[in-house]
Amino acid sequence: MRNVLGKGKILIVDDSEMNRSILSDILSDEYEIMEASDGLQAMELLNKYSSSISLVLLDIVMPRMDGFSVLSKMNESHLIETIPVIIISSENASLYVERAYELGALDYIQRPFDTLVVRQRSLNTINLSGRQKLLAATGEDQLSKNEADMSTIVNLLMNLVEFGSIDHGYHAENVRAITELILSNIGAVSFKYKPTPSDIQNVGIASMLHDIGMCAVNKSGLKPDTDEAIAELQKHTVLGAEMLEKLKGKEDNTLLRRAAEICRYHHERWDGKGYPEGLKGDSIPIAAQVVAVADTYDRLVNKRLNKRAVSHDEAITKIMNGECGAFNPVLMIVLKSIADSLPAKLK
Amino acid sequence: MTVEMFYARIGGDYAGTKARLMTDERIVRFVNKFPTDGSYQLLVDSIAAGNAEEAFRAAHTIKGVAQNLGFTALFTVAEEVTEILRAGSLDVAAKMPTLTEKYKLTIDAINELNA
Repeated sequence: MRNVLGKGKILIVDDSEMNRSILSDILSDEYEIMEASDGLQAMELLNKYSSSISLVLLDIVMPRMDGFSVLSKMNESHLIETIPVIIISSENASLYVERAYELGALDYIQRPFDTLVVRQRSLNTINLSGRQKLLAATGEDQLSKNEADMSTIVNLLMNLVEFGSIDHGYHAENVRAITELILSNIGAVSFKYKPTPSDIQNVGIASMLHDIGMCAVNKSGLKPDTDEAIAELQKHTVLGAEMLEKLKGKEDNTLLRRAAEICRYHHERWDGKGYPEGLKGDSIPIAAQVVAVADTYDRLVNKRLNKRAVSHDEAITKIMNGECGAFNPVLMIVLKSIADSLPAKLK
Repeated sequence: MTVEMFYARIGGDYAGTKARLMTDERIVRFVNKFPTDGSYQLLVDSIAAGNAEEAFRAAHTIKGVAQNLGFTALFTVAEEVTEILRAGSLDVAAKMPTLTEKYKLTIDAINELNA
């Protein structure tokens, strides 16, 4: 069996130059070789070349830092999950072998080693772990495709909810994209908000439902733009939140709780002049604050929603100047920092 | 002197080494590197300095290298010394003359192999 993933790089860690060169001699036809003469040097190389090293052959007894400490460090930094390690040692006490396996070594070759055995076990270990990495990557691809498909479908349904037909552009998907982009960058601006990747994902998905209450708004018999009509339209916030809150099991479902929160509060304003409750500042849930920014931006630039749509630059300027609402100053800093990358993220 | 004769001379395991390292050419290449390994001198110096830990690592390296190259006689005594030092004891005076003898024998034989 050949190496299925191209010529790999092997790091040989042994304090004896002799031992290193024997291993190097055996493996250098098939692999690129790096050498380290103790654990400290090995860790330096591992940290520097973690993405390109396909295997570590590790001695146990070494000065400065021994093989067990290297394995422990690799556990701490999670490198052990991506870089396979084979121990090569003349120690054959089961205590040593056991400890090496416990610390995540995949194989243990005892001295004196056999050329063929070293070659074959190196190859097997690299291929096995390479396949696992490949599988993990494929899983992630599949997951993100599923996510994208789900977004598309929710977007169509939200069009149906708001406009009565599915062909109405990509507002919901865009709001999700902007919301996630803001949340991913908020931590760099303020220590106050530290969303985890799962928070970001939950709020992102939930943001697509921000206008779900539109389907319960009574639109018939009202003249557009009258006070009465506007008051009725504004009810979509509370109506949306209530329909989500009535769902069974929503107590245990973060996504639904976030969605309800976003529905209810995405028209509140930082200065307290929004609706339905006139909440002010950070008494407005941060998820709803972020969605408000995303919603406002997309409605400004989206030609399908706004006959007087403006350019990206104009929209950013208007929002920054407070012409289209009053927002958390932290969110304005984030918006400014991500502004250039926004257009490419939107449909 | 052939490689096989070299191994007979130093009390080594030619057949086993050949089976593991596969070619005489590779064996000779590594055998010739053996004199450049400083572990023997490090062992002697560390024992003299009373540094059991360093002495242990040096003996351990000799043991590993000798084992890989099939220098059985040297390996056997290096292993005995390693185990004494591993326990933290520097009481290796009884074993060191044999280790030195086997080491020197090996170095002399390597010189002859290249002569």
